Amino acid sequence: MQMTAVEKEAQTSAAAGSSNREIFLPPERQRIKDGGTPHVSAKNFSIFYGNFEAVKKVTADILSKYVTAIIGPSGCGKSTFLRAINRMNDLIPSCYATGTLMFDGEDIYGRYTDEVQLRKKIGMVFQKPNPFPKPIFDNIAYGPRLHGVKDKKTLEEIVEKSLRKAALWDEVKDRLDRNALGLSGGQQQRLCVARTLAVEPDILLLDEPTSALDPKATAKIEDLIEELRGSYTILIVTHNMQQASRVSDYTMFYYEGDLIEYAPTKQLFTNPRDQVTEDYITGRFS
Amino acid sequence: MAEAPLNSPQKPDAFVMTPERLRRQRIAKFLGEGFLLVVASFVAIVVLFIFYFVAVDAIPFFQQRGFGEFFTSTGWYPADEPGEFGALAIMYGSGMVTIGSALIAVPLGIAAAICLSDVLPFAVRQYAKPVIEMLAAIPSVAYGFFALVIFAPLLQNYGGPLLMWTWWLIAGPFVFLAVIVVSDLVTSGSQSTDTRKTIRWTVTVVFGVIALFFLYYVGRTLNEIQILSGTNALNVSLILSFMALPTIVSVSEDSLQAVGRELREGSYALGATRAETIVKTVLPAASSGILAAVILGIMRAIGETMVVWMASGNSSHIPEPWFNYLDSIRTLTATIAGDMGEADQVTGSARYHVLFAMGLLLLIISFVSNLVSERIVVRQRKVLAGE
Amino acid sequence: MDLGTRKILDRSFTAVGITSILLMAAALLVVIVPIFSGGIGAIFFKGTIEHRKLQYNEFGNGDKEVMQRQIEETNAYRSRVFAMLGEFDAELESMEPAESKALRSSYKKVREALAHLFGPLPGDPEPILTRYQYGTTRWEQAEEALHDLMYVSKWDYSDPTQMAKQYFVPRTDDFKGTKLAALFPYMEENLVNMMLPEQTFYWGFITDRSLDSHIFGGIWAEIQGTFFLAVGAMLFAFPLGVTAAIYFTEYAKDNIFTSILRSANSTLAGVPSIVFGLFGLAFFINTIKVSESKSVIAGSLTLAIMILPTIIRAAEEAILAVPKTYKEASLSLGSTKWRTIVTVILPAALPGIITGGIISLGRAAGETAPIIFTAAVSVGATIGLADVFSSPTPALSWNIYNLASEHEAANEIRHVQYGMVLALISIVLLLNLSAILLRARISKKLKG
Repeated sequence: MQMTAVEKEAQTSAAAGSSNREIFLPPERQRIKDGGTPHVSAKNFSIFYGNFEAVKKVTADILSKYVTAIIGPSGCGKSTFLRAINRMNDLIPSCYATGTLMFDGEDIYGRYTDEVQLRKKIGMVFQKPNPFPKPIFDNIAYGPRLHGVKDKKTLEEIVEKSLRKAALWDEVKDRLDRNALGLSGGQQQRLCVARTLAVEPDILLLDEPTSALDPKATAKIEDLIEELRGSYTILIVTHNMQQASRVSDYTMFYYEGDLIEYAPTKQLFTNPRDQVTEDYITGRFS
Repeated sequence: MAEAPLNSPQKPDAFVMTPERLRRQRIAKFLGEGFLLVVASFVAIVVLFIFYFVAVDAIPFFQQRGFGEFFTSTGWYPADEPGEFGALAIMYGSGMVTIGSALIAVPLGIAAAICLSDVLPFAVRQYAKPVIEMLAAIPSVAYGFFALVIFAPLLQNYGGPLLMWTWWLIAGPFVFLAVIVVSDLVTSGSQSTDTRKTIRWTVTVVFGVIALFFLYYVGRTLNEIQILSGTNALNVSLILSFMALPTIVSVSEDSLQAVGRELREGSYALGATRAETIVKTVLPAASSGILAAVILGIMRAIGETMVVWMASGNSSHIPEPWFNYLDSIRTLTATIAGDMGEADQVTGSARYHVLFAMGLLLLIISFVSNLVSERIVVRQRKVLAGE
Repeated sequence: MDLGTRKILDRSFTAVGITSILLMAAALLVVIVPIFSGGIGAIFFKGTIEHRKLQYNEFGNGDKEVMQRQIEETNAYRSRVFAMLGEFDAELESMEPAESKALRSSYKKVREALAHLFGPLPGDPEPILTRYQYGTTRWEQAEEALHDLMYVSKWDYSDPTQMAKQYFVPRTDDFKGTKLAALFPYMEENLVNMMLPEQTFYWGFITDRSLDSHIFGGIWAEIQGTFFLAVGAMLFAFPLGVTAAIYFTEYAKDNIFTSILRSANSTLAGVPSIVFGLFGLAFFINTIKVSESKSVIAGSLTLAIMILPTIIRAAEEAILAVPKTYKEASLSLGSTKWRTIVTVILPAALPGIITGGIISLGRAAGETAPIIFTAAVSVGATIGLADVFSSPTPALSWNIYNLASEHEAANEIRHVQYGMVLALISIVLLLNLSAILLRARISKKLKG
């Protein structure tokens, strides 16, 4: 599969000739050469569940301060790849990684990496809103408190700032002491974003953040991503191709563990290089 | 990244650690997890200690007196000089009340578990479960008090009529059900519907009359029974069955619930009634779990002390005839509880060690049945998971 | 088989199931109702003047003036009885020895019954035991004593195939023509005036110490002992159990060592309670000598290892029930594993853990067998907190057994036994009920 994909892409890029810009440059396949500095870069990076290779030798740069969407059918490894970036996969006992995955020039899976500090810098928002069963204020303040902020005034400032960034402040400012589980699903998800922003991460990982939400709440989250664009490096895994095309600057397409195509969003959706990509985005399979 | 990134100055929130910090972190992790492991191993250590300390005090008895007397003699005269330590009658008593309580608790418990899992609507089930938990929560000494102070006099004074009414109320419906089923089966050969109907009615009436006589005769015989002492094996068996019921019901119910809905639906789709579905499909699938439940329930009965101590009569002999549940008996647990008071003072005597020998016996029985039931549960889980 | 028969079978099957559930509920009622009604009688009963005297003298309760007035009132009626006794004594002296001898034994019974009713009679020596210093404190016992006074009990052995039957003849027959004959109708008519029964709420039953091994007084020593034992057991078992549960759910790897530990846990859960008692005696007292002989601490330790498996299991279940998303959220914010456990998982699991703890507390309070050899004594004063390391204690569970099976006057203090059983069952069931309610609230909360 790996080899055939490479061959196929070599052919397609050859066939395309000197069209537009050089997106695919074998042997540094799927590495984007233009448009920013790499923030996270994978090199021959694989993730295994036991013997099963869920993500296969991915080599790609994720660019700083851009929104990158990751799409692909269920079980293609897109979530696994995302969770590898802040090492949430460590929770799964049989899971391990090979190759290198660099963040700010340091190896995420290196021997001296402190995954706790790493996760502080790489925040994550999950598929289902998962606020703690605590007051809204304590939810937001949880991260800062963990990292040693004790002063009440500072905490209040951080909470307000985070909630404002997450466009939730006006809705909840009068009930910060209420249990967060009393919020609506969409509000809960924005609360989770705010909670993540409160620890001031460099990267925001969004793992299908709208799949459990209704269209209205989804729109709000998308607006929020729009607001945050440019301030954070954002990676969003999504099932929804329209969403990917709406919010992202770049898009990665995974299929059966392979990174099939990685290109500026507009290009990937209008002019996919790969047959599989085209089949997927035109809805021949999902 | 084998070596430390020495070139990058250590920022406070850097996610790459110095080797020093890595080492400290590892040590902390090792110590922390080690502490947790020690605490978690505490239970295993306690189990080993229990076996060891009970065995250490039990072995001197067998060294002094050998195995023969303990397991084969019915003479229990520990206070005599020299004493006699035959525990056969006591073991028999333990066995008797265990079997007695199982005979009551197992059918009742399984029926109740089936009812809970398959018959009752969810709303009722919500209230039935706490009732069962309450039954389990009542302390054994309270049951013992009930058995001794309330139930035993009742049994002694109104034993005959009580037995008779119990017989009629419980056996009556089953006997008539059997009449209906048997007459159906007997007449199933005949062809024409009209003759069949007539034959069937006659057969039903004939069997019904026979059954009535049978019920009446047995009932009358029971009515005439005089119970000399209310503190007897029947009393204890009944109370122990109450105590075993909650375990049997809740574990069986879990096991019945573990049998998926697909199996039930498959059976219903073939035109089976609910009873047929449960008896022919669900019960076989859940059988090993139910067996484990029964073992656990019975274990409660064997290990129970207070009820048997208070209400068994504590007389060390094998009843005459051997199945006479209206006779007083004595059990292992009650003997340990009752004789320790006198034996305690003379640590080192056979009288003291024989009680530990009984404790060891109980411990081994409980250990083995626990292992067996655990195996059974694991196996069922595997079978249901299709491994 | 006929479809009709099959349907009948199906219905009967359902009926059997429902009947079995109803039978269990009925069994619960049959056990609990008599215990409740009997137990309430220990607190709410018709108390006689003797009860008030005793309360005033021994515990300092009650209004002295009212009591003085009532004592005078009763003494007015009682003095006639004592006068009759005096006259009869004189009459006895004047009788032929043979004649008086025949009367003497029945007269002795009369005096005994009267002493039982009124306390020591004039002329009797001052009794040492508290039980003889007062008359009957409860009206129904006074009525029984009156019956003993009025009738002679005889046994009918005429039918050898049947058990002997008891029957009664009036005692007046013995004393026809003597000066005592008037006593019997007088007693029957004036018992109320001599005892002055009043509806009594005796809350002191719970808070008073016992007098003369539970002939009078309350059960505070037992309640306190049960409390010490159960809470002591929790103090050991709860932290250990929760820590072990954290290990099993968050740290244990899936290997043979872990499965051995789990197996040990279920083995411990299945050990008969009396064997725990043996172990407690052999290990805590005879081997490591936590105390010279029986003590609260030895009992608590024994109970602690008994309830440990329950606590571990309940805590494990509660921790596993915490949504995994909480853990993920906390970790993704840069929390360490241990901090996540302490700040997120444990708080969320706490209600469930506490539920398990409460149920175990109830079990520790109700168990008898483990404390027989390690902590319980039949008669004992309330102990102070400082004594838990050295002295044994009375406890509800053990004393129920002891009073019902081994007490010399077991039949006369049934109300105390019922009261104790009620106290124990109430404690245990209230604990369980609160656990059930707590659990219902949790499941509601989890549903949102």
